[in-house]
Amino acid sequence: MYDFLIFTITIAGIYAIMALGLNVLAGYGGLLNFGHIAFAGIGVYATGIAHARGWPVLVGIPLGMIAAMILGWAMARLGRRLAADYWGIATLAVAEILRTVALNEDELTGGANGITGIPGLFESVASPWDQVYFSAVVLGIVAVTAFFSARLGDGRFGRALRLMREQPALAACMGYNLQKIKSHAIMCGGAITALAGSLYAHYFNFAGTEFMLAAETFVLWTMVMIGGMGRTAGVLLGVILVQAVYAFVPFLRDLLGFGSDVAGALRLGLIGAILLICLLWRREGLLPEKLRNPA
Amino acid sequence: MLQFLVDALLRTADLALITLGLSMLYGLIRFPNIAHVQYAMCGAFLAYAINSAGAPLIVSVVLASILTGLLTLVIQLLVFDRLLKSGPAIAMIGSLAVSMVLVASVLGIAGSFPHMFSLPHTEPLIIGDARISHTQLWFVLTTLVLLTLFVLLLFHTQVGRAMRALACNPALADASGLNASRITNGVTFISGMLAGLGGSMLSLSTGAHVNLGYDLLLPVFAAAILGGLGNPIGAVAGAALIALTETAVTNINFGPLLGETLVFLPVSYISAASFLILLLALLFKPYGLFDREVRRV
Amino acid sequence: MTQSILEVNGLAKSFGAFQVLQDVRFEISKGDIVGLLGPNGSGKSTLLNIISGFIAPDRGSVLLDGKSIASTPTFRIVKEGLARTFQLPSMPQKMSVLEVAMAADTRMHGVMSTLIKGPSMRKAERATHERAMHLLDELLLTKVSHLPASAISGGQKKLLGIVCALMARPRLLMLDEPTAGVHPNLRQDIVRALHRLNEQGMTLVIVEHDMHFIREACNRCIVLDQGHIVASCKPQELTANERVVQAYLGSTVAEAEVQMEVIEQ
Repeated sequence: MYDFLIFTITIAGIYAIMALGLNVLAGYGGLLNFGHIAFAGIGVYATGIAHARGWPVLVGIPLGMIAAMILGWAMARLGRRLAADYWGIATLAVAEILRTVALNEDELTGGANGITGIPGLFESVASPWDQVYFSAVVLGIVAVTAFFSARLGDGRFGRALRLMREQPALAACMGYNLQKIKSHAIMCGGAITALAGSLYAHYFNFAGTEFMLAAETFVLWTMVMIGGMGRTAGVLLGVILVQAVYAFVPFLRDLLGFGSDVAGALRLGLIGAILLICLLWRREGLLPEKLRNPA
Repeated sequence: MLQFLVDALLRTADLALITLGLSMLYGLIRFPNIAHVQYAMCGAFLAYAINSAGAPLIVSVVLASILTGLLTLVIQLLVFDRLLKSGPAIAMIGSLAVSMVLVASVLGIAGSFPHMFSLPHTEPLIIGDARISHTQLWFVLTTLVLLTLFVLLLFHTQVGRAMRALACNPALADASGLNASRITNGVTFISGMLAGLGGSMLSLSTGAHVNLGYDLLLPVFAAAILGGLGNPIGAVAGAALIALTETAVTNINFGPLLGETLVFLPVSYISAASFLILLLALLFKPYGLFDREVRRV
Repeated sequence: MTQSILEVNGLAKSFGAFQVLQDVRFEISKGDIVGLLGPNGSGKSTLLNIISGFIAPDRGSVLLDGKSIASTPTFRIVKEGLARTFQLPSMPQKMSVLEVAMAADTRMHGVMSTLIKGPSMRKAERATHERAMHLLDELLLTKVSHLPASAISGGQKKLLGIVCALMARPRLLMLDEPTAGVHPNLRQDIVRALHRLNEQGMTLVIVEHDMHFIREACNRCIVLDQGHIVASCKPQELTANERVVQAYLGSTVAEAEVQMEVIEQ
């Protein structure tokens, strides 16, 4: 029972960091990035490749974040002349290309088998304390990320980003370089998500492509939209809700005894239904973005 | 060489109807509907279900298409019409949610294994040095006939003219007395029917499987964007181009370039090829190769 | 010899077959308050959009303090000291009036400085807050500063637009119909505020229809008609100017006088 609890909390924490990353560009910036999971994948593989190459494995974290920032810059450049929804499809394509490359380049990424044996963060500690410590570290990172995410949104960068989101012409008139702001937002959000990706690799001791499916970006989007786009507390609430559904389904399965296909369908369907209901009735999420009044 | 052309033709047929449906509808509703490819998947499963219940193949396919058309219309009316009031971005996210629900429903009801149609087993035809199965041949011919009929409808009937007028200039069309919502509903239904048709015919070869829609997503969008969204002939041309590239990419022997005898790109890079084309298309020609897209400002 | 701050030469722009501006040429000196007039369709908005960087001209040059700004992106032009307002400004829904005004101060908006929030950032935020409140007060928006910016009236949105333009401390400010839709009582306050700004060294270009406002506010007028400059004179001389009357009324001064005689008879 406790094992399951710790597992759920750790996973929720990792997703929370990813969702907070997405929130910077999608929530504050209104940018439709449907390939955001690629950043997580970069984090996962940066750690995996560092391990496979025999480098100190923690190097994977900063490496992943830097690689994510480079990808983020490239994605932003892609969007220079594209309308928002076209760009969404383009980012989806980018994520899929990366996933295909990861799946095929056996030399680099272990191909379909991935990279195994990635050490956790507390290898020398006896079980179950290693899990507990990991969980604590993840929660700590969530708290720090949430704090800085709120500060970013309330501060000058966030103000510029949010203005760009709603009235780009006005923002340009004030003197903001919209392309630069977009680029920085994507790079920032991507780096945060890559960090979570590295943690994911450490937690599961594995780097593979199952995680990089576009379906995962959709889960992140659902978390951000249900909870409240552009509001840190909202994002965290969304993560908790979606994770609750995810954790709830196995219980239901044990109770009612249906197969894994139905379980998978139920998870996906519930998330999709919740997102749809949210869009139709509470478009801004359960905790809508509040009006900020600088003191 | 002939096999190469046959393969490319088959792949074009796979994509053409679904791309056409997507492109036509985009001209009127102005947002990229990610759920469109899932309509194709639904069509496939409906055809399978009806066929398994005992109906002949052709009847199953036709019935499945009609039902898919209805499904598309219902979803458009209940969901997308409402979401569009908040803008194309919200509608696109909504189409994402609809995709999830559709996939989940099918997955829950039918499971994740592909459902193969029980087709009469016949020897494949051999034309020159190319092989093509009867099912595939039937598929290509049907697609060609349907496309021709559709083009005739669009360019030589009053209904077709009305559809094109509405796509080009909604305000003017409305002012000149065309009933915009009736035409849009009609086009929605037809677009869903085309998706259902394409999906069910495609599944005759591959079986009805849950990933059918998702596997088509990026190639279909690449084809539709290349051809120019809203341009029906362009949609077919785009499908042909994507099909050709995909077939070429895995059939070209890169060996001579690299100083070896046989070097082929792995089959899974097929998808990467069409995604790359999509990216290039969006970068350099977001309004399509023929630049006659229905512009959305 | 007063320095010229804006020089426009040989500017031309067409949209498809429609030639909106043809060989537009004029010069604005530092410290002027210039009224830009012309009937609807004369090309005033296009001219404003070209100067402020929203559109690129087909031909011609625009020099701000001797530096070419034609075909430069808007944000770079703003950094050079030119700001503009919009006729019908649309304002964000999820930001308060005060936040929008504060956003107009674009210094120090980088990711790192926002995240670190050191003492210089805190100081800058305080200063921006103060300046924003001051400008909002000048333009009578203090009472609504906590409301969502999209919830205030059209006239108030215009004023907010002016506040935002002023936050950038421009040397040349272009206003697009600042008094249309604004309460008549407010107009006097706006004229006074504009004169104050001018005394402090700001050059102003005001696109307007309201002749009274032009006479009170401006010291020079430029009249545009069908893409050409037809007059450049003092406000008092406008009604006597043949070409201005023709542009607005479609007839010469003499013809207008004859028509008046006919009506009176």
